[in-house]
Amino acid sequence: MSAAEETMQERQAALKGLGTSRKRVEDARFTQGKGNYVDDIKMPNMLFGDFVRSQHAHARVVSIDKTAALELPGVVAVLTAEDLEPLSLHWMPTLAGDKQMVLADGKVLFQGQEVAFVVAEDRYIAADAVDLVKVEYEELPVLVDPFKAELPDAPVLREDIADQKEGAHGPRRHPNHIFTWEQGDKAAAEAVIEEAPVVAEEMVYYHRTHPCPMETCGAVASMDKVNGKLTLWGTFQAPHVVRTVASLLSGIAEHNIRVVSPDIGGGFGNKVGVYPGYVCSIVASIVTGQPVKWIEDRMENLSATAFARDYWMQGKIAATKEGKILGLWCHTTADHGAFDACADPTKYPAGFMNICTGSYDIPTAYLAVDGIYTNKAPGGVAYRCSFRVTEAAYFIERMIEVLAIKLNMDAADLRALNFIKKEQFPYQSALGWEYDSGDYHTAWNKALDAVDYRGLRQQQSQQVEDFKAGKTRKLMGIGLCHFTEIVGAGPVKNCDILGMGMFDSCEIRIHPTGSAIARLGTISQGQGHATTFAQILATEIGISADDITIEEGDTDTAPYGLGTYGSRSTPVAGAATAMAGRKIRAKAQMIAAYLLEVHDNDLEWEIDRFVVKGAPERFKTMKEVAFASYTQEIPGVEPGLEAVSYYDPPNMTYPFGAYICVMDIDVDTGVTDIRKFYALDDCGTRINPMIIEGQVHGGLTEALAIALGQEIAYDELGNVKTGSLMDFFIPTSWETPNYETDFTETPSPHHPIGAKGVGESPNVGGVPAFSNAINDAFRAFGLTHTHMPHDHWRIWKTANDLGLHS
Amino acid sequence: MILTDEVQIPLDRNTVFQALNDPEILKQSIPGCEEIKSHSDTELEATVVVKFGPVKASFNSNVELDPSAGPEQFKLNGSGDAGVAGFAKGGADVKLTENAEGTLLNYEVNIDISGKLAQVGSRLIEGTSKRLAKKFFVNFEEALANRHA
Repeated sequence: MSAAEETMQERQAALKGLGTSRKRVEDARFTQGKGNYVDDIKMPNMLFGDFVRSQHAHARVVSIDKTAALELPGVVAVLTAEDLEPLSLHWMPTLAGDKQMVLADGKVLFQGQEVAFVVAEDRYIAADAVDLVKVEYEELPVLVDPFKAELPDAPVLREDIADQKEGAHGPRRHPNHIFTWEQGDKAAAEAVIEEAPVVAEEMVYYHRTHPCPMETCGAVASMDKVNGKLTLWGTFQAPHVVRTVASLLSGIAEHNIRVVSPDIGGGFGNKVGVYPGYVCSIVASIVTGQPVKWIEDRMENLSATAFARDYWMQGKIAATKEGKILGLWCHTTADHGAFDACADPTKYPAGFMNICTGSYDIPTAYLAVDGIYTNKAPGGVAYRCSFRVTEAAYFIERMIEVLAIKLNMDAADLRALNFIKKEQFPYQSALGWEYDSGDYHTAWNKALDAVDYRGLRQQQSQQVEDFKAGKTRKLMGIGLCHFTEIVGAGPVKNCDILGMGMFDSCEIRIHPTGSAIARLGTISQGQGHATTFAQILATEIGISADDITIEEGDTDTAPYGLGTYGSRSTPVAGAATAMAGRKIRAKAQMIAAYLLEVHDNDLEWEIDRFVVKGAPERFKTMKEVAFASYTQEIPGVEPGLEAVSYYDPPNMTYPFGAYICVMDIDVDTGVTDIRKFYALDDCGTRINPMIIEGQVHGGLTEALAIALGQEIAYDELGNVKTGSLMDFFIPTSWETPNYETDFTETPSPHHPIGAKGVGESPNVGGVPAFSNAINDAFRAFGLTHTHMPHDHWRIWKTANDLGLHS
Repeated sequence: MILTDEVQIPLDRNTVFQALNDPEILKQSIPGCEEIKSHSDTELEATVVVKFGPVKASFNSNVELDPSAGPEQFKLNGSGDAGVAGFAKGGADVKLTENAEGTLLNYEVNIDISGKLAQVGSRLIEGTSKRLAKKFFVNFEEALANRHA
């Protein structure tokens, strides 16, 4: 190796750019307890808000008596819908085109609904005062089963819109019906299913669960009555959207509102929506002229802020006798709770559920989704997944298994037979998407080889024989999953939230001494943006990632962006970062050309500098150029070195992966033991392998939680039965297995650096892998499908129903 | 939730039946009963404090007694409001059978509980309710024993 080459390698390494496992710069403060979360914000004269919540799932509010609460020393105000009505703030619009009560207006529609907002000098007084507010209810019949919503005796939940025949997403056929969303060719799909040699049918339920971020939702609102400015700190995954919504709702001009997302302790979709707590804090601050803080407790978070999933997916899949899939049909009953507060792009009331053809070349498909009101909390957010993508992936990966059983075929072979082939990309799916790139067969074969799949199947057959012979009470399940995600929403032409196009942005300033600050429209909730976006930029502009500050979350300084969810940060804001970096480089090239007295075209970019073609000893580093841009007059070029990019992606990105879970199940106790979990992810260009590894571990653990026990369960009275961490399953290190990670790298052809996004893949792919393992373990005993969550009791029950305990 | 059980009381049926309609005996028998007011022979208002796991709830309850099928049968219906802690409603149906040892009571209690109680205490409610029902009859027997001692 020559000295020059070695120097080049050293210079490359010094950048800590793309592909480097750079340590997370955020962790210095997080690991020392120096993070600054919403609840860490303390201001002089700050008041505390707390909610009186409904204990009923459906009731008329007869009266609210706040006298006793107001008499308690330290109580400043008690707000009810009546107080908010003159401001038109007793209802607010939802992200899904519906509206939602901020405080109970005449009736309550779910347990835990906000009825009154108590404001007091400290949070203990506020909590005491909550107990003193006397609310008289008249109970109404409760609707918890979405399949009973349209029966003749079903109670009408939303009296406010009972007569509206047209909703935000087309016709409504019943007061409890929200929308019907249809994609694909119904007649063609039904004809294929009618005539196909083999059809498998199943009802696949993806149960209601909750993102349950470690930090619950909260806000601090501070209205400065002197200068008319409202500052709102909060747990917002989309601070700019919150600012716009706050302006539209309150009538305060947008330039007079500053929204700040400080450190956020996990979001997973839970912090995308706008909650009554935010609105009430703002109103209370305007009324009192003092800052007002509202922080949820865990039970409030689980029972009142946005849930996820709750899709009943009836499926039919048609194939030839050899296993070639001919068509797919799906009807989904979507339980949206009391208000339609799903956080989806406006034109997609069921998110990207139409990615449910998965990784397979399915010529004909049809999807219908019916949204239904029930007496449950509103939500329907994308919990560590792009909009409804985990539902879609779970559906198709279960249907493939059900089809394999019907065909008496190996499920791995059935997948390989039907994968979209590498040469078919860009691939047009039957339900309307254009998959950008993929190489499924390579990933699949790598995964099967890595776990010795055929060997595992032999072991499994042997174990079934041993079980039947009474030699063991354990069964072995092999859970396969090949998922395709659709992330990075999205192109402004078809993706918007409340009308705001889903572009994102980056603004870069290079300082005279050659370091930089970049601000983005996204907001990290643990993803490590301050680390990875600096790496993208380091490679683009030749300044070490260590010399680049990344800042997000303050709407007064950051450029407008749609925020972080749906794995959109890297695909959209990451692209904006690369594009803004390229603008910097283009200007820097002109400056370098002037300094080197050559034409622009005579320069080429080399890691961190511009070099004169054919004369490598003549160069200017980016650092030198930056200095010159502030200190010298460069004819025809403005001083300074800054750039901004607003990036509208031409398409979504389509990360994919191959996951295999090997599980041992104790038939007599239902206890599961994960022997092996292999996860191969292809997220296109890899920015920071260490962070990807961390994302995969985290996502898989949340997938394990969902598949093996985590749920928001209601009883027939509409009580949340899993409203605390005593009953809501969060895996600890005790339950979490070792994960083996792997990758292939198929860059996105349309993304500036080829990256696709990864934060949510492991949740999307993990859930079917865990669930398929459970189902697969009992396949030899006649089981086709059993619903999640697969907790020990349900597994025991499955074994018992199959007669394995006699 | 429906709870059924039986209890043997070593007193004659009429005495037991009368006691079930006696607010003073009821006050001594209902676990956590702090106050009982009679609005009529069959309408009572009671304040009852119950602890379900971490949640302590003070129920303001209205109870209606139905002695019409006595002394073979005794029924009551009621509801209790514990504010933010929750809400309970339900009833009890007690059959009184005379036997050699006195009176056998077969009871069926149905209770629906809403609110925070149901959320936090769902795993505790059934156990706690069973315990409270048992405790009622233990107290009841004791109160009767004291009176007839």
